[in-house]
Amino acid sequence: MPRLGGERSRRARAQLVALLKVQAKLNLREPYALGPGVGIPVILLVVFGFISKQVPGNVANSGLTVIDLYVPTLMVISFIAIAISLPATLVRDREIGWLRRISTTPVHPSRLLGAQLIVDLVLAAVAVVIIIVGGTVIFGAGLTVSIPFFMLSVALAVVEIFSLGLVVVALVRTQTQASLVGGVLFFALLFLSGLWLQPVLVSQPLRDVMWYSPSGAAVRAILYSVFNSRPPVTTLLTLAGYTLVFAFVAIRYFRWE
Amino acid sequence: MRPLWDTLSAVTGPSFPKHRGSFATRGQTPLRSVLLSAGNPSPTSPRGEQSAVTIKNLAKRYGDLLALDDVSFSIQEGEIFGIIGPNGAGKTTTVECISGLRVPDSGSVSVYGLSPQRDRYRIREFVGVQLQESALPPRLRVGEALELFASFYSRPLDPQEVLQSLSIKNIERTAFRNLSGGQKQRVSIALALVGNSKLAILDELTTGLDPEARRGTWALIERMRERGVTVILVTHFMDEAETLCDRLALINQGRLIALDTPEAIAAEAGVNRVRFVPSKPVDDKTLYAVQGVEVVDRKERYVTVTGTGDLAASLINALAAMGVQVSELEARHGNLDDAFIRLTRGTASTASEKVRV
Repeated sequence: MPRLGGERSRRARAQLVALLKVQAKLNLREPYALGPGVGIPVILLVVFGFISKQVPGNVANSGLTVIDLYVPTLMVISFIAIAISLPATLVRDREIGWLRRISTTPVHPSRLLGAQLIVDLVLAAVAVVIIIVGGTVIFGAGLTVSIPFFMLSVALAVVEIFSLGLVVVALVRTQTQASLVGGVLFFALLFLSGLWLQPVLVSQPLRDVMWYSPSGAAVRAILYSVFNSRPPVTTLLTLAGYTLVFAFVAIRYFRWE
Repeated sequence: MRPLWDTLSAVTGPSFPKHRGSFATRGQTPLRSVLLSAGNPSPTSPRGEQSAVTIKNLAKRYGDLLALDDVSFSIQEGEIFGIIGPNGAGKTTTVECISGLRVPDSGSVSVYGLSPQRDRYRIREFVGVQLQESALPPRLRVGEALELFASFYSRPLDPQEVLQSLSIKNIERTAFRNLSGGQKQRVSIALALVGNSKLAILDELTTGLDPEARRGTWALIERMRERGVTVILVTHFMDEAETLCDRLALINQGRLIALDTPEAIAAEAGVNRVRFVPSKPVDDKTLYAVQGVEVVDRKERYVTVTGTGDLAASLINALAAMGVQVSELEARHGNLDDAFIRLTRGTASTASEKVRV
């Protein structure tokens, strides 16, 4: 029945557009994702950009400047901040019965989650563009981006870190738990991404702990790809492994009400 | 979008009769037995109209708690059907089984011939649900919520007309968190209707509203009836059930204990109340000995007796036989409230009263 199928997909599109509009407006009004996801990286970009200008030259013989090293870290920080906003909004929507209310309509609440993830992907893309353009044009990061590797690394990093956010949504019950777990996770991931100490500056075994952590591996993959190199296979496999585990746990334990 | 709503808005409130035509039918048909012993087969339609919802032998258990035990009834198209019962009686579980939010352990549910489990997405097209505890995201605006829900359905009503007819056009741009309780309930009704639903399930709609907002909500439900929407109304307010509902199912401890019109339930529960002043003191024992007497209350010189049967006559005769005259006699039929209390009190307390005799 091609007509019916056409009608159905036209309606599904209309429903998705309506959900996207609502989620976008809500994300502007309560900027849990927008504020930290774009705001924090922009502020940090300015901070480390100026530090980089004050302390030019190569950090710990890595051949990279401060801003070079921080470009990947800031991208991952943006992804982390957006991922941590997922529990903040979705756990609330579940707790107040909004998701359950939607499940009484012909639309499954998973579509609302989908719309929110699309909004979050747009925010992540905006942050990436700001960091790349700002980092190179304003603060002189010497990036030589390898487009295919960069796309692969960023895609893996985003999916991995967003999945981790969804694991929190799946496992916590209340908004209080969500903000508690989200807060702890946020700072742990920020540390592991190298915000306070870049992995190149620390000694083993902490360096490996960071490089193989959920956020550190993402930073490492992006770091290689913005300097026109293939990320180490172990890093890509680490990211893929985390993604699989997080996605499995999130899907397995997800609750709509 | 269909402007069906304007037929609704055109209705001028009090002009339509409460029980639309069903009185005549009721007059001709002998009243069905109101008290159903558990395990009775599903009651058939009293009016022979198409049934919107049919429930057969529904059972649901939460752990050790038997939430629903062999509940059967059917709801006619266009009817306002009330589900009443004490807290925790199984009212919400019943409507959740109808809307497909819960899967019964056994028994069957049919909504316009469809199964809420197998055909869940088809049913959701025409069943509008208002949930007992459900909020909208705090910053979502009323108009946006309605537009969003309208987009979910294939033949929605025009959100603007829904807003107008529920008199909430003025709060279209207000965020949910800034609404009053009554406004939130109106929005909740609007969301349950905007899909152009044939069946609306309203769960404790007026709980927590002030008397004026409650009356306003009642008027809205009356207007839904006028539009031909079948309404299932879960409530624990007897006045609400008496005012709005064509028929009631009374559920207690997971069992269906009465199923009829509010008037018939009140009448057949047979509660009567007699108040009088005796010419000489009469002790309780004497009064309890009179046939039909269940409860005796005293206040100053007044004696109030509640019970069943022709109480006033039995009392006057019994007291006259002892040479006691009765003055200031006042007798009245019990209302739904009395019936509710009598029917949900259960066998335990009835037995204890017999001990007192």
